[in-house]
Amino acid sequence: MRNQLKERVAISGVGCSRFGDLLRTPDLKGLTIQELTARAVKEALDDAGLTGQDVDAVFAGNAMVHSSQVPATYSQLSKWTGTQFKAGVHFEAQCSTTNIGAILAAMSIAAGVYDTVLVFGLETTRTKVKGHSPYEREPISHQQTWLWTDMAVNQAYAVAQGYDIFSTYNGLVSLGYCRKYGVSIEDFDRSMYELCRTRRFHGSLNPKANIQETLEARAARAGYSDPYEYWQSDEHNPFVAWPSRLLSLVTTADGASAMVLTRADLARGGKSQPVEVKGFGVSYSDLPWYGEDPTYWEFDRRAVDAAFDMAGIKAADIDYLHTHDCSHISSICTAETIGYLEPGKGLQAAREGRLRFDGDRPMSTHGGRHAFGHAWGASAGSDTYEAVLQMRGQAGARQIPKAPEVSVIHTHGYAMIGAVLVLGSM
Amino acid sequence: MNAVQEQPSVIRSYYEKLAQGKLLAVTCKSCGTHTFPPTGCCERCGSWEVEPVELSGEATLLYATHNLSPACHPRFEKIAPYVYGHLRLKEGPIVQAIILGVEPKPAALRELFERGPVPAVAETLQMDDLPVLAFRIRA
Repeated sequence: MRNQLKERVAISGVGCSRFGDLLRTPDLKGLTIQELTARAVKEALDDAGLTGQDVDAVFAGNAMVHSSQVPATYSQLSKWTGTQFKAGVHFEAQCSTTNIGAILAAMSIAAGVYDTVLVFGLETTRTKVKGHSPYEREPISHQQTWLWTDMAVNQAYAVAQGYDIFSTYNGLVSLGYCRKYGVSIEDFDRSMYELCRTRRFHGSLNPKANIQETLEARAARAGYSDPYEYWQSDEHNPFVAWPSRLLSLVTTADGASAMVLTRADLARGGKSQPVEVKGFGVSYSDLPWYGEDPTYWEFDRRAVDAAFDMAGIKAADIDYLHTHDCSHISSICTAETIGYLEPGKGLQAAREGRLRFDGDRPMSTHGGRHAFGHAWGASAGSDTYEAVLQMRGQAGARQIPKAPEVSVIHTHGYAMIGAVLVLGSM
Repeated sequence: MNAVQEQPSVIRSYYEKLAQGKLLAVTCKSCGTHTFPPTGCCERCGSWEVEPVELSGEATLLYATHNLSPACHPRFEKIAPYVYGHLRLKEGPIVQAIILGVEPKPAALRELFERGPVPAVAETLQMDDLPVLAFRIRA
């Protein structure tokens, strides 16, 4: 493959809702899925200085149709986004959805078909349609969420025979990491605590995050003066896949995100500072996601290599990195595969605070999948949203001191599609 | 009227064999790679020229963790929480499956982890509606 964009493409507008629960989170309570999505789309279009009628095509992403119940999302959302009569399609790449949408948009623009494309993603992983109501919702049980979500995982053999996301994505990877690098279980646990602390600290600085309470504040609320004691308590933070604990995992959320992509020459005169799509790479894999070494994922390697080749960058050029952190240990492994963190030293970097927004290796400054929350098909867009804010210097209290010029956003779309997006300042 | 003949299905065959305690894979006639569990083509080279083969069930358990109760899938509610492991089959394929012979508790899992890789052998676990693949740690 030639692995080139034949024309330069930019992101000219971004939008993202708060992530949380449509039944109880401030800013979200009472919204319908149509209105939730429209908020993110309006923010992105306003940011680009456009209306829905100014775009040529719409790529509408939603993964878990069971809870959203809006298949044919393009037409069902068209009158909520002002995009009636546009070209478009509903698509999904699970938790990579919105960034795969950005990649498809970039390809269609670089091919000379469209000038401007709107991509959006919406998802409800905490609430579902109540009965047949057009506006009432109800909570989804833990088991139902995973039964629906795991429909994206090998149905012939894996889910049917006891596959469990927490074992495969967390426990086994953690053990692989500890054995490979000689990390003790005690050091591993302390490192996961520090990583969670960083992610929740970032969430506390982000008014759109699902969880905005620091780990220390949460521990104090439960009566612990030492937050590490809280971390180690079976009651509050049990092992869900030994040696991985509950607070190293994804937090489900309802949410929506959106972005406008356009020809780079058109973006220059736009309303907001554009960010260039320098390159991307995609690679998918069925289970098993790794061979004998659970820390090395071949499809990630291929996606990263393709993206870096297209963008003409190397790991040392990256100023800001988001890796998919549905599983905190997996996010460290990916950062080491990318070369942003030294192999075997990722946990130490977390312990030293180097992954904070003000550290020398900032990651997931929006709070990541744990604190910002995870709304499957909308989440990749939330990662890109954060990267664009950081590159513009608009990330507020969590702004990286020197605004990044090169950002890399990696996501795992269950189960699995590795998607890597390289963004560069223009 | 003639009865409609049922088409062969690799997935159905896999579970029927598993119910008899046998592990069905396919082997590629072009490159020799085993695809396990079986599909209709080679997972390595993409060739459609594959033939069924029975695997030994001998494996090395590399890592074992556990999971939650209630299980993510209703089929496994009765046995949750259970141990889930990462194994290398004698014939080469990497497999993840339910592990028997160790308690789903941190202390037992830690002891197993510290022992390093251990031999295990395939065993069919009969759930209410489906036989599923498990591996038992060798004594």
